[in-house]
Amino acid sequence: MLGQVGFRDVAVGEKFDTFRGTSKERIARKYGVTGINIFARKA
Amino acid sequence: MAIACPVDLDTRKLRDEIRSIYARVASDPSSEFHFHRGPDYAAEFLRYDRAALAQLPTESTASFAGVANPHRVAPIEEGSVVVDIGCGAGMDLLLAAKSAGPRGRAIGIDMTEAMAEKARASARAAALDNVEVRIGDAMSLPLEDSSADVVISNGVLNLTSDKSVAFGEVFRVLKPGGRFLYADIVVANELPESIRKDVDLWTG
Repeated sequence: MLGQVGFRDVAVGEKFDTFRGTSKERIARKYGVTGINIFARKA
Repeated sequence: MAIACPVDLDTRKLRDEIRSIYARVASDPSSEFHFHRGPDYAAEFLRYDRAALAQLPTESTASFAGVANPHRVAPIEEGSVVVDIGCGAGMDLLLAAKSAGPRGRAIGIDMTEAMAEKARASARAAALDNVEVRIGDAMSLPLEDSSADVVISNGVLNLTSDKSVAFGEVFRVLKPGGRFLYADIVVANELPESIRKDVDLWTG
């Protein structure tokens, strides 16, 4: 989607186990919900 | 990876719920939520620099509710104009202001007045006079075209009902060559309709 609006050099970075220990951890695990860092540049 | 908003999701209800929850995070960050908050979470889960967080006012770090770490995506250069979309109580905003230095500027945008006021108070407490906080929405940023060197955002754009509009706004306000240091959540597996319509889960 970032590419569709015109961003270049889109790169996915680190992932984080953001919901570990929360009441939504089970749902997060089931559907693969994680925190993530992303880089993008406007050409 | 992205979550598409169901066409029949009540987006007004979603916005009201987001305002309500994050006003509560601002006023009472230690109460019960279905997401983590605070500087210990930021350091332990998201690899923030604990020493850098210790130098910030507690008011800005206690209500932090980000989901990843834009400061680890790429460095913010001195003199940069940085925009933080959904700045909350200001933890990421103040870190960005310190990186941008006195020749730079850090502009926070938040739709929750209680959070915006916390961020302003934290900037004053930290003696950072290169910080400005505006009330606004990620879907219609109160900023001029091509005005930012860097846009950061942490766990906010997933709350918007139309990601393409929100990303378009980031693109609009960045200068050519400007960088988007983006932190958010992703979903690896297709979500069932019942979960995609659950406003409570959208606000997490």
